[in-house]
Amino acid sequence: MTSLTLCHAEPRRLGPLGTASALLLPIAVVNAIGFLWPVVNLLKMSFREAQASGALGAGYNLDTWTNALTDSFTLELITNSVGVSLLITVLTLIASYPIALYLHRSTGTWRTVLMVLVVAPLLTSAVVRTYGWIAILSDRGLVANALMALGMAEPPRLMFNLTGVVIGLTEILMPYMILALLSGFGRLDPRLEEAALTLGASPLKTFWRVVLPLTAPGMALGGLLCFVLAISSFVTPKLLGGGRVFLLATEIYDQAIVTLNWPLAAALSMIVLVVFGISLTLYARALRRIA
Amino acid sequence: MIHAEPAEMTRLAQGQGFLSLRGLTRRYDHFTAVDDLNLDVAKGELVAFLGPSGCGKTTSLRMIAGLVPASSGHIVVDGRDLTGVAPYKRDMGLVFQSYALFPHMDIARNVAFGLEMRKVPKAEAAQRVKEAIAMVRLTGREHHRPAQLSGGQQQRVALARALVVRPSILLLDEPLSNLDAKLRDEMRTEIRDIQKRLGITAIFVTHDQMEALTICDKVVVMNHGRLEQVGTPHEIYEHPKTAFVAGFVGRINRLSGRASGGVAQVAGITVSAPGFEGDVDVMVRPHRMVLSTGPAPADAGLHQLSGTVTRATFAGDILEYEVEAAGTLLKTEASTRGGEALLAPGTPVTLSWRPQDTFVYAAS
Amino acid sequence: MDERPVSPALKIAAGLMFLFLLAPLLVVLPISFSGDDFMAFPPSSWSVKWYGAIFANSVMMNAFWISLALAFVVTVLSLGIGLPAAYALVRLKPPGAEALSNLFSAPLLLPTIVLGLALLLVFAPMGLIGSFQGLVAAHLIVTLPYAVRVLSTALANLPLTVEEAAGMLGARPLTVFFRVTLPMMRSGLVSTTALCFLVSFDEVVLSLFMTGPRLQTLPVAMYNHVDQQADPMAAAISVLLVVLTLAVVLVVDRTAGLTRTFVK
Ligand SMILES: Nc1ncnc2c1ncn2[C@@H]1O[C@H](COP(=O)(O)OP(=O)(O)OP(=O)(O)O)[C@@H](O)[C@H]1O
Ligand SMILES: [Mg+2]
Repeated sequence: MTSLTLCHAEPRRLGPLGTASALLLPIAVVNAIGFLWPVVNLLKMSFREAQASGALGAGYNLDTWTNALTDSFTLELITNSVGVSLLITVLTLIASYPIALYLHRSTGTWRTVLMVLVVAPLLTSAVVRTYGWIAILSDRGLVANALMALGMAEPPRLMFNLTGVVIGLTEILMPYMILALLSGFGRLDPRLEEAALTLGASPLKTFWRVVLPLTAPGMALGGLLCFVLAISSFVTPKLLGGGRVFLLATEIYDQAIVTLNWPLAAALSMIVLVVFGISLTLYARALRRIA
Repeated sequence: MIHAEPAEMTRLAQGQGFLSLRGLTRRYDHFTAVDDLNLDVAKGELVAFLGPSGCGKTTSLRMIAGLVPASSGHIVVDGRDLTGVAPYKRDMGLVFQSYALFPHMDIARNVAFGLEMRKVPKAEAAQRVKEAIAMVRLTGREHHRPAQLSGGQQQRVALARALVVRPSILLLDEPLSNLDAKLRDEMRTEIRDIQKRLGITAIFVTHDQMEALTICDKVVVMNHGRLEQVGTPHEIYEHPKTAFVAGFVGRINRLSGRASGGVAQVAGITVSAPGFEGDVDVMVRPHRMVLSTGPAPADAGLHQLSGTVTRATFAGDILEYEVEAAGTLLKTEASTRGGEALLAPGTPVTLSWRPQDTFVYAAS
Repeated sequence: MDERPVSPALKIAAGLMFLFLLAPLLVVLPISFSGDDFMAFPPSSWSVKWYGAIFANSVMMNAFWISLALAFVVTVLSLGIGLPAAYALVRLKPPGAEALSNLFSAPLLLPTIVLGLALLLVFAPMGLIGSFQGLVAAHLIVTLPYAVRVLSTALANLPLTVEEAAGMLGARPLTVFFRVTLPMMRSGLVSTTALCFLVSFDEVVLSLFMTGPRLQTLPVAMYNHVDQQADPMAAAISVLLVVLTLAVVLVVDRTAGLTRTFVK
């Protein structure tokens, strides 16, 4: 008969806490070197002395911040970015809502197919999808050719301006919004709607008074997500804006890579983070009001 | 590995059991799931843990297995304190309430797992796996996955997996709960036989009092994390120490009365109640109350109550009656030998029972 | 379940929005078969020459191999670092596990443009810009949180009793992990692999900060190409990338589907 020996001597081993620490060490190192330190360093960088040559001074001062916050260009950059991002968020919401509601009401294989169609763009590179928009919006693209075929002599320019950026980003952010809305639609019981309809409310009134309020948390989440992604997006504004649309994200890249004004790039990054913090707070507040 | 102080060790060693629980306690935040459990189990004994859902049976078992650390108390096996020893070094087998089969292995590999861990030679292992699977009547299913089996079949695999390694202590958490009556009967006897043959010490958790009474050497009745009574099935059934045990094991009729001077007055009759004062509960098992029509059998030694039948049910082997006597509804039953007519509701009857079948407890 | 009637207005609105959502992917396919030398829609002639052009383009081919190697290394590292971390957080629950878990997901909250800049500022003095190691490190920062998240969820959803059962049968903790825990996490591992691979393979912004002139990933090379001339070659590459993504998703679905049949 075989049996396990009870309580045989063991070499000294790590306790559970020791084992946990050992297992968490690698990720802690990556997190510290790749996240905590760079972020702290970024904050410090925004206070470094910037010299005209692009070199860094040795000392720390508030120059970058005072310049940035008094310069009309930077202020316009901030208000523009926030404004454009808000516009994109609203457009994304309007465009996504019908899809999400339709998805919520469809079932079976059809729903699976539609879900794949929603998620597929999420998994394709922003470069690919932006390229698609170039093909649609450029001077020789789908829209321009269609309008000319219809007899319009000079179709409006849809690219290398804000219009193109807004159209492209709206589409690119839609999957996020749809998924957020769907997650919030869980509370939308079809029986509630039926109840409202049987109580004599018109379909439009039912939507306005029952469906919309119930889906508000999903809209708030989607709104936060899209706003945050819009204000930090870079590839689409760069390619569809063609260097003629100035937003916070593109400016950060230009300052860092082209102008080599690292303190300013760092300060702008911090501003983006502040905007993030504010929108998170507003979201939390909105959620509390809805609840 | 022995954590006890020398003085305490002698105390621990004094336990007569092969498996001894000493003040075993498990607290969750402010809730005590198992409270000061003391128990001695002799080698080769089969002990039932019986109690209502949530009374701490599983928690006790998991503490013995080492899967849940005890908040206080000791588990001693063969004189050695196992407190703090990892489960895989305890040589205990556990059949989980939820089966816990390995979903990615077929049945044969599930059963073979423990033998593999014990480095049993291949040929011997294969033979033992075959026998274990045959024992739980699953021959031919060796290469099915757990998900392809019914709940009852999975439960039997769990049983085979635990038994095949012949652990020194076997813990069974409601191992037969999902089987039909016939299979449950068979498996129950099978477990009992194997356990006796191999001299395995076993703890058998169950909701089913029949199961506990029929196959176990000893029954432990638990309630709210506390031990209510330990004894042989006969002791538990015939001499329940508490009202809870009387009510939980077997069916019971309850009458309220008042005690003073060593006797209790209940429903107009006097029963012996030594040591009780004030309100008492008097309990009698339904089938110990003999039901008769017409004049009451004149036996001065019996307790007797008159009443009327309020409900009569034909239940195959027996006839079940509900009788109203002295303002209380009492259950009783009569065995059928053929030819008896079911008494109609309203029939006046007399209930008689022996004084030693009367249990008295302080009213709760 | 019976279909609930959907109003025609909603159907039309949803249909139009779906068209808008899929428009960029829908136009890319025909353009990739364009016979023109420049991008126009609709193309005036058809050919597969742009697919050939990709394979003749050494910049794109190099970038492709670099992206492939990068995604591979990043995925392996993410699993190698993320799996022990998830195990520690979910199974060993050290004090502060919740806070640690939040800290490890925090890089996902940071906009990539900010993270990219932050990494540039610390990697540049170390000479890591334009190096493969720099790219690996940068990608790891964003793939690791995904890995830890998905693996933690997979682990938390496993019934603990199965692992306990293995322990009761005499298996040591390490044996339990490799023989029981890991095989049961199969679908979580497949999803994590696919997710890390796709995130790394598609990543642009961090890579733009990390790449130098001699070391480009495919998305960066495409970005630069599209930035300068939007010719149909980019469409051909896009189509190939979409096909690659679909293939990965299909593999995941097949594996997850297979897993579902034997994990209840
Ligand atoms: N991890 C835990 N945290 C808090 N309370 C717990 C925990 N595990 C068990 N309990 C509580 O301890 C009590 C005893 O649980 P246990 O599982 O031992 O009951 P049981 O007697 O096995 O019941 P059943 O017959 O239903 O299986 C229950 O009230 C349960 O809610
Ligand atoms: Mg239980």
